[in-house]
Amino acid sequence: MNDIEVASVTKRFEDMVAVDDLSLTVTRGELIGLLGPNGAGKSTLTKMISGMLNPTSGTIKIGEFCVQTQPMKVKEQLGVVPQDIVLYDYLNAKENLSFYGRLYGLTGSKLKSRINELLEFTQLDEKAVKRHVSKYSGGMKRRVNIAAALLHEPQVILLDEPTAGLDPQNKHALWQIIETLKSQGKTIVLTTHMMDEAEELCDRVAIMDKGKIIALGSPRELVKKVKMENTITVVPDKAAPELVEKLKNMQGVKNAYIAFDEDEKTQALKVITDNPDDILPDVVAAVAKDGTKVLSVQLSKVTLEDVFITLTGRSLRE
Amino acid sequence: MKIKRGFNQVAAIAKTDFLGVLRNKTAIFFTLLFPLFFIVIIGFTFGQSGTGDMSRISIGVVNLDGELIAVNATNSVNSTIGDTFVEALQTVNFTVSNYGEYGDPETNGTAAYAIRQGNIDAILIIPANFTESLSFQYLDNMSMPIPTRAHLELFVDPTQTTGSVITQQSILGFISGFVKQYQQIAMQQAPADMKAYIEVLTDPLTVTTQDAEITGNELQWIDYMVPGTLGLVLLWSGLNHASMTIATERTKGTFQRMVIAPVSPTTVLLGKFVSNLALVYMSAFIMLVSGILMFQVNLYWDIPVILLGIFLGSLSAIGIGLIISSLTKNEEAANSIAVIISVPLQFFIGAFFPLTMMPEAAQYFGELLPFTKLVDAMKDIMTKNLGFDAVVPEMTYLLISGIILFALGTIAYRVSLKRL
Repeated sequence: MNDIEVASVTKRFEDMVAVDDLSLTVTRGELIGLLGPNGAGKSTLTKMISGMLNPTSGTIKIGEFCVQTQPMKVKEQLGVVPQDIVLYDYLNAKENLSFYGRLYGLTGSKLKSRINELLEFTQLDEKAVKRHVSKYSGGMKRRVNIAAALLHEPQVILLDEPTAGLDPQNKHALWQIIETLKSQGKTIVLTTHMMDEAEELCDRVAIMDKGKIIALGSPRELVKKVKMENTITVVPDKAAPELVEKLKNMQGVKNAYIAFDEDEKTQALKVITDNPDDILPDVVAAVAKDGTKVLSVQLSKVTLEDVFITLTGRSLRE
Repeated sequence: MKIKRGFNQVAAIAKTDFLGVLRNKTAIFFTLLFPLFFIVIIGFTFGQSGTGDMSRISIGVVNLDGELIAVNATNSVNSTIGDTFVEALQTVNFTVSNYGEYGDPETNGTAAYAIRQGNIDAILIIPANFTESLSFQYLDNMSMPIPTRAHLELFVDPTQTTGSVITQQSILGFISGFVKQYQQIAMQQAPADMKAYIEVLTDPLTVTTQDAEITGNELQWIDYMVPGTLGLVLLWSGLNHASMTIATERTKGTFQRMVIAPVSPTTVLLGKFVSNLALVYMSAFIMLVSGILMFQVNLYWDIPVILLGIFLGSLSAIGIGLIISSLTKNEEAANSIAVIISVPLQFFIGAFFPLTMMPEAAQYFGELLPFTKLVDAMKDIMTKNLGFDAVVPEMTYLLISGIILFALGTIAYRVSLKRL
């Protein structure tokens, strides 16, 4: 069952085409990432999905409802988490959640229980709950920002750069929250700049550029499209051909060879693989077992950034 | 079900908006405390004007009452009541200087010279027949008194726009009190068969400067100011706050989140209107209560009509605010435009001084403003003790202008939704 259907959607702003004849379907429970540089059309697309903008042409459906003709029905199905912290900083977390809950028609005991559930979800302690949002840390604000979009238990959640500006600890905490939502069967559209985020979380990634989707698939499928390889480089104190043969025969290794570095005057063992994270320990162990000292290890993975550069000739951050 | 949900949404929006003011020190100052601050300043500056301490007002008196005058072909030189009048001016603490003549502004020592130099605030000329007129010395053939009005002339400094009105109002207030005293004494002294005749002489004294507003109460300047401040409340708390309400939310992004929610534009507008209206009422309440407690304002309180007037006036103020708020890009722009509009308007609504003091074009402009109508209506209700019937034209004007401006505000808001 498709929760999101974007059919031949175009959005023009005077002479500029922000989204160009774009089609996309997202199935129930899927987490899809929208990846692309600034101006690629990601925000315009999510604004159209959320009903903030009307498409110039084409149609968008959320579940069985059309965004253009049944906006109120669609809004009931959607939870939108904006990139910026969109909370009333003079209210505390509870008051903010109460306000947004009431906008979505929640009242009485239902509202109270949802607020309590989501306050637990935000992991704010009792003292923090009573403080005004203006006193919160960035991570706390982010969590409440997400909670405010979940009060009405939406099936489809739009997350716009949810971890922007967060430190690694808070970022990983939010990733866990997103994974929890996914495990609850929510359909999630994640707009992001971050490769690791897309690779870690997304079932599929749509790479956007100039208002179009230029590549769509699982992170692994997209990486495979690029004629680049994941390489484990081990610099040993000595590199014997027998060791290379052993490495070649290891499971998951596509190829292995000795490379000579002219500048460093050193030899390096190069191991080509599809699963560098999985086999790295085995490769190092095999080299050590051979009685060879490991001087250094380097992992070169093909990323979605490489995919984007290959497809567009530009960096995602340009 | 839908209505209940809509009501709940309106209440949520209004409450959040209202808390935004109550929990913001700057907003509290400008929305609620600035009006209070204003009335305290006004009260301490003008509060005692009218019938209280007059020592700040310096009057140059040209008392001609002692001069030779013919009464029924007989020479009279009687200055009894003129002197009493001057003594009474001093008794109520006006600063009085005596001059022999009005004179001309170029001649030192004359009253006209003194007022031009700023040494005095007003010139009061007591006519030569002041005593003769007020003591019934003009007789007809039957030796019956001919009712004769004494005619005072009052001159104020036209370059002191606001000050001259205060001076004029204060002196007129004094004259009003003097007349009442005079009437009592005249009634006591008159023979019993003449009392009925004397009673018709209810207006024995006229002044040519302007018509005095004589009410049932003896009013001080602050009493005239307080109803006028309700017009200012609409500008400060209504127009200014309404102009910020959506612009601020747009700047902070909360507006977009509200639009994403299943809330109709009408619901959002109603929520904003309710919170703005609550602020206006709260601000007006603070103004009026502080006027009562601090300055003992002496007014009439027809609460339902006052509340209705404020409500109708708020429609216009909030309507203009919504237009500004919807069409500006951010709160800074909205604030600037609101200030540019509301600050000059304060001087055109008759709150600080009467519109009659302004140039003709400005008077026409002022009369078009709904806030002027509110000030007029509130003055009628609160100082003249007139009923609702007397202010129906003003209320009707407020209703019509309110509907038009609020409708324009609604249109502007809907237009703004297209450029999120």
